[in-house]
Amino acid sequence: MVVLVVAVFCIASLAKAADTVKVGLISVLSGPLAVIGNGEAWSAEMAVKDFGTVLGKKIEFVTRDHAYNPGLANEKAKELYEKENVDVIVACPNSAAALAVAQQALLHKKPFMSTSAGTTDLIGKNCNRYVIKMNYNDYMLATTAGLWGAEHLGKRWYTITTDYAFGHDLLKNFTAALAKKGGTHVGNDMVALQTADYSPYILNALKAKPDVLVLLNVGSDTVNAMKAAVQYGLKKQCKIVHAQLFEPSIKGAGIEIFADNYVAAPWHWKVDHPGAREYADKYLKLHNERPHYMAAAAYSATWQYLEAVKRAGTTNPESVIKALEGHTFRDMFNNPGYIRPEDHMTVAKAYLLRVKRPENVKEKEDFFDIVGSVPPEEAYGPPNLFGCQMKGF
Amino acid sequence: MKIDDKRSFWILPLAALFFLVLPFITPYKALASQMLIFGIFAIGYDILFGYTGLLSFGHAAYFGLGAYGAGLSLVHLSVPTLPALLIGVIISVLFALGIGYLSIRRRGIYFAMVTMAFAQMIYFIVFKWRSLTGGSDGLQGVPRPNVGPINLSSELTLYYFILFFFMISVFLGIRIIHSPFGKAIECLRENEDRARSVGFNPTRFKLMSFVISASFAGLAGGLYALLQNFVPLHALNLDTSGDIVLITLVGGKGTLYGPILAAMVILFLKDLLTSYINIWPLFLGLFFVISVMTFRRGIFKELKEKLLKF
Amino acid sequence: MDYNFIFAQLFNGLILGSIYVLLSLGLTVIFGTLGVVNFTHGALYMLGAYATYTFVTLLNLHFIIAILICPIIIGLIGIFLERLLIRKLYKLPHFYNLLLTFGIMFFIQDVIKIVYGPEGEPFNIPRFLDGSINLGFMLLPQYRLFIILITGFLALGVWLFIDKTKLGAIIRAGTDDSEMADALGINIPRTFTLVFGMGAALSGLAGVIAAPVQDVQPLMGMNFLVEAFVVVIIGGMGSIKGSIISGLIVGELITIGIIFWPPLATTLIYIFMAIVLIIRPRGLMGRAAFFE
Repeated sequence: MVVLVVAVFCIASLAKAADTVKVGLISVLSGPLAVIGNGEAWSAEMAVKDFGTVLGKKIEFVTRDHAYNPGLANEKAKELYEKENVDVIVACPNSAAALAVAQQALLHKKPFMSTSAGTTDLIGKNCNRYVIKMNYNDYMLATTAGLWGAEHLGKRWYTITTDYAFGHDLLKNFTAALAKKGGTHVGNDMVALQTADYSPYILNALKAKPDVLVLLNVGSDTVNAMKAAVQYGLKKQCKIVHAQLFEPSIKGAGIEIFADNYVAAPWHWKVDHPGAREYADKYLKLHNERPHYMAAAAYSATWQYLEAVKRAGTTNPESVIKALEGHTFRDMFNNPGYIRPEDHMTVAKAYLLRVKRPENVKEKEDFFDIVGSVPPEEAYGPPNLFGCQMKGF
Repeated sequence: MKIDDKRSFWILPLAALFFLVLPFITPYKALASQMLIFGIFAIGYDILFGYTGLLSFGHAAYFGLGAYGAGLSLVHLSVPTLPALLIGVIISVLFALGIGYLSIRRRGIYFAMVTMAFAQMIYFIVFKWRSLTGGSDGLQGVPRPNVGPINLSSELTLYYFILFFFMISVFLGIRIIHSPFGKAIECLRENEDRARSVGFNPTRFKLMSFVISASFAGLAGGLYALLQNFVPLHALNLDTSGDIVLITLVGGKGTLYGPILAAMVILFLKDLLTSYINIWPLFLGLFFVISVMTFRRGIFKELKEKLLKF
Repeated sequence: MDYNFIFAQLFNGLILGSIYVLLSLGLTVIFGTLGVVNFTHGALYMLGAYATYTFVTLLNLHFIIAILICPIIIGLIGIFLERLLIRKLYKLPHFYNLLLTFGIMFFIQDVIKIVYGPEGEPFNIPRFLDGSINLGFMLLPQYRLFIILITGFLALGVWLFIDKTKLGAIIRAGTDDSEMADALGINIPRTFTLVFGMGAALSGLAGVIAAPVQDVQPLMGMNFLVEAFVVVIIGGMGSIKGSIISGLIVGELITIGIIFWPPLATTLIYIFMAIVLIIRPRGLMGRAAFFE
């Protein structure tokens, strides 16, 4: 019986026809982080539809859920490259998952546009020529906020870090940026992932009397940390900077908690880039919410891939990669963006956002003000800062 | 599982044929390999849970240790494939000896909780030791060195390589169950006091069973590292422990073939569902509940009863 | 050594401990009297929080009403689950119910995720409990004091109920020897259902109390679940006194871990649990009869 079911499904899923271009997306489509993944999937699909056809061929789009599990991501990448015969994989949040997919890209010799994983290993010791990194990375998030914050917010910083790879990397980069601007790191707490009660760490922070509290965490941890910070009066005493903060978290916990907090971001839907507002409005109409920068990055990655196919005149992976390396482009996400050939990182101007107070929110999900920016050379650092030795072809 | 009538005579060749063509039936070949790996894991777990009656809620530890053991040897020590797998098994066994010795003394739910506690501790250590294990990123870049003339880089070849180990595991599993040891642990499961009065040392047998099941898990883990070319931290997670319990229970504990079949079906379903439906945890939960409520003896035991009635 | 600071942290550990006590009361009552390891505990806790959100934010009722009504609702859900599913497995080995409740937990969590959405709901401390009290060595949020008081009140109440009332005696009799109790005319099935409902209500209440201080999202119970089990095992499964003491100890252990070496904090309690289980598996105050 199992055999029959399997056979039916195999016949049902046709291999990719030769006259289409197939874009695959792997992301987190279930669980609490699905808000990120759904945004990416919707945007990439929008890009495919908006692009229409490329080189006279139809564009197909498939998605796979990795449920934020690196092992699953690895399998899905294999499935997409092998069985679905996709020409490219985009997105893939979760650094461990992205590293696995990058490896599969090298093994299958097909491109991977990584947009939502932060690890600088992708442009460092695990780099390969089939991977193009877009959007942010851990260095950029921390350095942008650190450089700008040390100048504008204060010199004494206290960090609360989630105890895993992402947190550690952010901490390292933050403290380096802080030191560059003459700031002092007055203390740090390592907190286990998914901690519910942040009060002991907030107490630690209070004791250190910082100018700025930095929360190097995401999701539930950020919300729990902020709830404690508000209750124990820390929010009144200092400024607060986040590593990452998206609209869904603000919706999920209420904007009062986050008001006046800062975060670095590569993009915001109100940014002054060509097509950004149109994209955000179309997204709002279709999905009743505003896009976060992960979603926008997926759109841009898909679009730039298809543009590169057009420029190269073929879907042949090596030619498309060559068309992307060293390329400068202007779209609604990066204006301009430049894909460095040394490490395949796409660099662009980075912004500083501040969460609005509830009374200032004029439109739906209009949560942030853009209060500053940092030029790409400073935000992303010099090319090949992480020692990438390109392999692949 | 003896060959006792003409109908069962056909099981063996049919099964052999099935496994030979499996990679061509599944959506992608790596899935078939995964099914075999969890089948091996399930055999070992059934020996412990089904035949000895010990519910371990931390068996992911041995799976994970096998994976990291093999993976680390491949990455840092550059050993060939077969010794790496052996190292994985040895590491699992060593930990199982220690943890088993401490846990065996308790029964029932306390045993389950102690095993869980130890599994969490191992998870934590592996997680923190980022310089060695890669921490939450997992162990990246696990190679697949050739085994003699056999090149394992093709998924298909790797499948048959894993199939070889699968067949050995099945064979070993059956031999263990039908051996005097196998009878002894079943006796233990039914009535420990009586077993003791007949002269069996329960502690020694329980520990042996624990270690044996860990060795299967360790082998499965090592093969998993080869398959994925990396070791995800998730292999040590409580979820993975829960998965193997579910698989064994749904398949029918104490049957060996039940859990193997369940492993394959559940893995296949999981893959299928995640590709098409985004609310699959709901279905998994529902499936779990239904299985526990109705298929108390396990789906395959129930099916077998019905089939034999023909 | 800043003694003020350490004292503040230790005092805070008491609050954390109170949350654990609240969490483990439901678990220990059910295990102690029914022998069921209730994995749905985490899901019921989460349901309590969501019920509070629904009542207070969506229906605009007062928080006090939520405290009174929501646990009853969760208790009724518990009773429903018990009558429909759980009671059918009492005669089987205990791990069947463990696995059943495990599956139910996933199901409930996903239903909530589908109905409310996965990103969680905003919920803050109600106005009348907002604000802080200056204790000298620290600024204590009023709400945290409220948690300690409610927990104390509840713990005392549950203990008195089980230990001193006639209904409590019936429950204890039903557990110690259900056949004899049945022979004496006590309606065992009804008693068990009642106890399960009570345990569920306690879990739900913990969720109500936690909603203002924790991120209200579908998986909020999962993380606490394992720790709640640790508390119950250390205290002794089935002992209310044990759960209270153990909850406070665990709260302090975690806090001490955080003061000296934060990453170790949660593992510390696992190590402690393993030690307790190996040396004295019945826990600090549990009854030897069960499962030793």
